[in-house]
Amino acid sequence: MEKAKAIAVSEITKTFGSLTAVDHVSFDVGQGEFFGFLGPNGAGKTTLIRILTTLLKPTSGNAIVSGCDVLKEPADVRKQIGVVPQAMTSDLDLTGYENMDLYGRFYGIHAGDRKERIRYLLDMVGLSQRANDLVATYSGGMRRRLEIARVLVHRPRLLFLDEPTIGLDPQSKHVVWDFLGRLIEGDSMTIFLTTHYMEEAEILCGRVAIIDSGKIIAIGSPTELKANIPGNDIVSLVVANLAVERIAAIERLSFVHKVIAEENSLRVYVDNGAKNLTLLIDDVRASGGTVLSATVHEQSLEDVFIHYTGKSIREEEAKKVSFLIGAGIPQKFGR
Amino acid sequence: MIRLFAVIERDLKKFQRNPVVLAMSLLMPLIYLVILGNSFQGKLTDLPVAVVDQDAGPHAKRVMENLRAIEAGPKTFSLMPMKDMQEAIAGVKEGRYKAAVVIPVDFSKKVTLQARPEVGLFLDNPDSISSEMIRNLLNAALLSIRSGYVPIRERADEVHLRDINLFPKVDYYQSLVPGVVIMAIFLGVLTTGAFNLVMDRFLGIDESYLLTPLSKSHIVSGLMISGLLITTAIAAVILVVSMLITGIPLSRGVVQIVPLFIVVVLTTLCLLGLMFVILGRAAHPRIVGVLSGFLNVILFFPSGAVYPIASFPGWLKTFAKINPEAYAVHALKSLLFKNASMASISGDILFLAFFTVVTMTLSILTFKRTL
Repeated sequence: MEKAKAIAVSEITKTFGSLTAVDHVSFDVGQGEFFGFLGPNGAGKTTLIRILTTLLKPTSGNAIVSGCDVLKEPADVRKQIGVVPQAMTSDLDLTGYENMDLYGRFYGIHAGDRKERIRYLLDMVGLSQRANDLVATYSGGMRRRLEIARVLVHRPRLLFLDEPTIGLDPQSKHVVWDFLGRLIEGDSMTIFLTTHYMEEAEILCGRVAIIDSGKIIAIGSPTELKANIPGNDIVSLVVANLAVERIAAIERLSFVHKVIAEENSLRVYVDNGAKNLTLLIDDVRASGGTVLSATVHEQSLEDVFIHYTGKSIREEEAKKVSFLIGAGIPQKFGR
Repeated sequence: MIRLFAVIERDLKKFQRNPVVLAMSLLMPLIYLVILGNSFQGKLTDLPVAVVDQDAGPHAKRVMENLRAIEAGPKTFSLMPMKDMQEAIAGVKEGRYKAAVVIPVDFSKKVTLQARPEVGLFLDNPDSISSEMIRNLLNAALLSIRSGYVPIRERADEVHLRDINLFPKVDYYQSLVPGVVIMAIFLGVLTTGAFNLVMDRFLGIDESYLLTPLSKSHIVSGLMISGLLITTAIAAVILVVSMLITGIPLSRGVVQIVPLFIVVVLTTLCLLGLMFVILGRAAHPRIVGVLSGFLNVILFFPSGAVYPIASFPGWLKTFAKINPEAYAVHALKSLLFKNASMASISGDILFLAFFTVVTMTLSILTFKRTL
């Protein structure tokens, strides 16, 4: 029996002038799933989340969120979902408690319920002690935790998180991950998360869609996605004096599935990397090349991304205009 | 209702956490009253005028006496007697004097001979207001020396003007009070209502409430109501304080407060609505900055607060007809100085109410619920 759908997206496209931010995207998210949208900055993640949460209208296509049409019933969609936008959106002039209380009232929750729920949530994110301090005095990590707690006040069944750990230090990042992990265990909540951190998607998400330049290029559980990559290990080599035509010869070795060459570094997809590493090095040497360094590692989602796009997420990031998006800075793009 | 109150409370709390803005909104209109009152004074005084008497004859003396009478009486100018005409003219050119009066050598002789006597007047004419004033006063001073003597008894056939003030006398400071109250409202409106919307948008905070079930009218009317509460409170304080400072009595007693309050509330709503229509989609506080300076000038000066609308050219009169501040000033002046009843300002009230309804409706219609 197929699980009920929390999100059903069909053929959504969004253009801003000549730029296509989201390009014919379709996918479903089942009830109770922890679904991740993984891609570099500027891939279209925030645009898509804004369309699903009724903040932007798609150029074409449609989506059903929590059983409601985002175009025809935006008000009903808003009642059922909770959204943590990428930018920090809590009010600096108000205390943590006031921020949560007002938010609860925006959802029409009555005083009694509100008080209890807010105390519980503040406790859960470890902010009880600071509840009556102005948010202006909070650290970035505390603000982020407050915003995640705030969005749970009205007990949404579907939660959207846009890059929830962007700009946080590693410790705060782990606190947020821990908290999100506990959320999905407790309630039968569906979580939709976007991220450009491989690790985040791998730790948290049951299923991941990889998005690049507005298109979904792969979708599945992290394990499934990794299974699609040929070989099971990756050998990264930094070489010198290696003739380009020799690369094709390396690719023909029996244990090698694929080689991606970039200047003087090679990514070689191999079976049993630990055993075959020496054979690979011997082959390079035999061709007159020098091996400057060699590492073997198990495949990760990063490799999945490279496999499908031929480039790493970090390179992608470097190319994007970085002033548009930065940690903690409101993302004005697409307004 | 729980949602609307939440929007209002959020805004009020944020304002309350920023007491500097409140202090400035209260102080600035009062400073306006003092600065405007002293810089725009109804009549001109102490204009420095150089006088060179090259004649020193009997008629020249008469002229000098008349000038001194003006210096001592209305104090329009203060005289600087000088010897050298060139120096006096240079003084005007350099801006030390507003004018130089030169009585030439043969002046008394020419008066006696009735041979077109002349007095030279060198004016700092780019300063048209003081030049005009000095010219008129000097003409009057010269006219009176024509008659050889000052009549001791009034002539029976002379026509007299008897002016009767219809309203209690209003001094210049008092006459500025309506304008100052309008200024206070304008300042209040600038830092509340639509401004908060623009700030939220600029900081990216709007996203957090656009994602909630709040409707357009919750957001717009919530911001308007909190703006109204804050602005009316400021305007009421300014009105009371400036009435006390300038000594305007409540001629009808406490009852008069009711229509005054109604005018203040409606004016606030008009301006809040206007700002919302204009700023409804703005996303940068700089736009508010530029716009506020502009709006203040184009709404305030043609409002009749400092200069009578009747003297405006036709096109400006037309503009004054749709300027809510003009109606507000008229209503406040009628209530404060003319002991007017509600009925006599019903036209103003109607216009302000109409303007409010139109701008409020437009605000809600044009407000974008998406990013």
